Amino acid sequence: MLDGKYIWRMSKAGATLAAVLLCAGWLSAQTPNATNVPGAPSAAGAPVSEKAPAGKAAQENAPQQSARAVREVVDETGRTVRLAQPVERIVSLAPSLTETIYALGLQEHLVGDTDYCDYPAEAQKKTKVGGTINPSLEQVVALRPDVVLMTSINRFETVRALDDLNIPVYTTDPHNVQEILSSTIKLADVLGAAQNGVTLAGEMQQRLSELQQRVGELPAKRVLFVVWTEPLITIGKNTFIADALRKAGAVSIVDTTQDWPKVSLEEIVRLQPEFLVFTVQNDEKAPDLLALSALPGWRGLDAVRNHRFIVVSDAVNRPAPRIVSAIEDMARQLHPEAFTDSPSVAPPVNKDPLNKEKVEKPNAAPEKTPPAQSTSLVANDAAFCMRIEHLACNR
Amino acid sequence: MQPLTLRRLLLRCAALAAVLFVVVVLALKLGAVQVSLYGLARELIRFALHQTSELPSNYSLIIFDIRLPRIFLGVFVGASLAVAGTSFQALLRNPLADPYVLGVSSGAAVGAILAYMIEPHLGLAPDVAVLLTPLGAFMGALVTIAGVYLLGQRDGEIDSTTLLLGGIITASFLNALIMLLLNLISERDHGGMSFWLMGDLSTPLQSNLQWIIRVGFFLAAGAIYTTASDLNLLLAGEKEAIHLGVDVRRVRIVVYVAASILTGLAVSVSGAIGYVGLLVPHVMRMIFGSDHRILLPTAAFGGAIAVVLADMLARTVVAPGELPVGAMTALAGAPLFIYLLRRRMG
Repeated sequence: MLDGKYIWRMSKAGATLAAVLLCAGWLSAQTPNATNVPGAPSAAGAPVSEKAPAGKAAQENAPQQSARAVREVVDETGRTVRLAQPVERIVSLAPSLTETIYALGLQEHLVGDTDYCDYPAEAQKKTKVGGTINPSLEQVVALRPDVVLMTSINRFETVRALDDLNIPVYTTDPHNVQEILSSTIKLADVLGAAQNGVTLAGEMQQRLSELQQRVGELPAKRVLFVVWTEPLITIGKNTFIADALRKAGAVSIVDTTQDWPKVSLEEIVRLQPEFLVFTVQNDEKAPDLLALSALPGWRGLDAVRNHRFIVVSDAVNRPAPRIVSAIEDMARQLHPEAFTDSPSVAPPVNKDPLNKEKVEKPNAAPEKTPPAQSTSLVANDAAFCMRIEHLACNR
Repeated sequence: MQPLTLRRLLLRCAALAAVLFVVVVLALKLGAVQVSLYGLARELIRFALHQTSELPSNYSLIIFDIRLPRIFLGVFVGASLAVAGTSFQALLRNPLADPYVLGVSSGAAVGAILAYMIEPHLGLAPDVAVLLTPLGAFMGALVTIAGVYLLGQRDGEIDSTTLLLGGIITASFLNALIMLLLNLISERDHGGMSFWLMGDLSTPLQSNLQWIIRVGFFLAAGAIYTTASDLNLLLAGEKEAIHLGVDVRRVRIVVYVAASILTGLAVSVSGAIGYVGLLVPHVMRMIFGSDHRILLPTAAFGGAIAVVLADMLARTVVAPGELPVGAMTALAGAPLFIYLLRRRMG
């Protein structure tokens, strides 16, 4: 069967096949040529379904190629980023960054954000580019951003992919509350709103200092921060949430370097936290915490028997300015005695006329005692990994 | 079996290439920003002639720098998986054999994750470091297929049932290993890795990796193609093939190494995409017969068509969000498999 004629025929066929596919490969390898065309004329009646950019945006496009000044900054992962000045079009790939942009009063420049960007409510109306782990690169590029903002919940692959497309990526990476402040200042400066950043961080710092005066000297409450109940997942000491707890006059009973450790209920019963801390999203019903007391294991906890639960807004899960409100809220619930004297720590009425959303009032957080409900927190059957994904995406 | 002529082969390949072309054009048209067919045709001609694009620059960036490379990646991944599946099915004489079922995909994933984990500690140049993951995936695939092959032997001959069970057990063991490894890596990598493991073509590759995929595919698929007529004889059984003068040892080594390269490359760039390697060969065999000299190239086209279609759905169904392409192939593949199974029984 393997005579010479046959081999010749086969190699001819193989060569044809190879040629066809290599042509295809060559085509795709040639693609960069298509994009290096400077100042491609805006398509008159271009067959594009997405609305052509408005006149203003189209004007920006031209100088972007030639006349705009470029500023070099180093982001928080050490990458050098070249940004066209001024930064007019921002895409945010994390809910925390979206919140920060609104808090800085730069929402006019935010042209796209993720499916998980739900605060403030107007952020939901921005053009969506998909999730935080799997954004649509096509959609990001279609928005013609001057900069794409990313943080540690996004993937390195996305950074690299946008890099290859010559789209500047600026990455923040705060690990504690103080770094959230400094990160905000730096981001504001990069986006051309340095003064707003200093003002915002100053206000956050002042509120944290006032809180420090109230609860700093008190013995820290030993708490279990519950990320998920089945299986029980909590936070590690290197997360900014652990730092937020410390600022609120509490300490996590679980001391580990793992960021999202799965812990055994036995261990928790042995450690006996004074309080259990749960988070709840703005639109979510508060969990049915009373149902916990009916469960084996959980009912062995003093905190469960005595209903010592506190529920805070999921702002505590996001490294954004609103975390200060969540910290204040936790401190109030954990140390009510420190707040009896005067209402002075009540959130200052927003003085900045630029931005009414700046910091949410702490008392907007969910009710302390959740009403009994038919849906039980612990009966939630969503898979563990989905929760982790949700948690990761939702910051 | 009809005698093979170049005409027969080329006719079939041309027909499938035409289908693939239509699918590619469709995939190129659909997405976060859409272009009309006319506009696309005009752009493609201008592109081929190296003329200036008439689209706004960000549109041509999307179509030619994001969408087109992604589609070509899908073409190569699909072709690799289908060719690997076809040759495994022939060599192991088992219609259920495919990189996914035999655990080869999982082995490649374990290798890729391990390479990913040790890469920062080696201090390699970035250009070299990029190649570590495909290399790890290839090693993982090769070790797995060797292990499964040993498990499947009985009295010196391959026992179909034992082999398949060995593969399934190996796959489940390796999947447990993957879960273990995922718990050891940082949270940031965890989310991305999980998404990659479900099959993902969304990340554009660096250009040197793109070339490795292309060259690797042609070398490995070409090597498998040289064994095509031996694979035909092997359908009758290993002993029979030996009596007919087939160097079974050589065929085995060529197919295992080449199929491991194909699987390793595919998994390292796209995660585990199931059902393509299993079903595409079956469908192609039903249409074009079981002559591997025709089946191998047609399966390559079929796999490419299947993955490009699945990826097109993955990125458009919940746009601008994306679904894992592995979920799309499984959603379409499992019912199709059951249909084929019932049909054969009825």
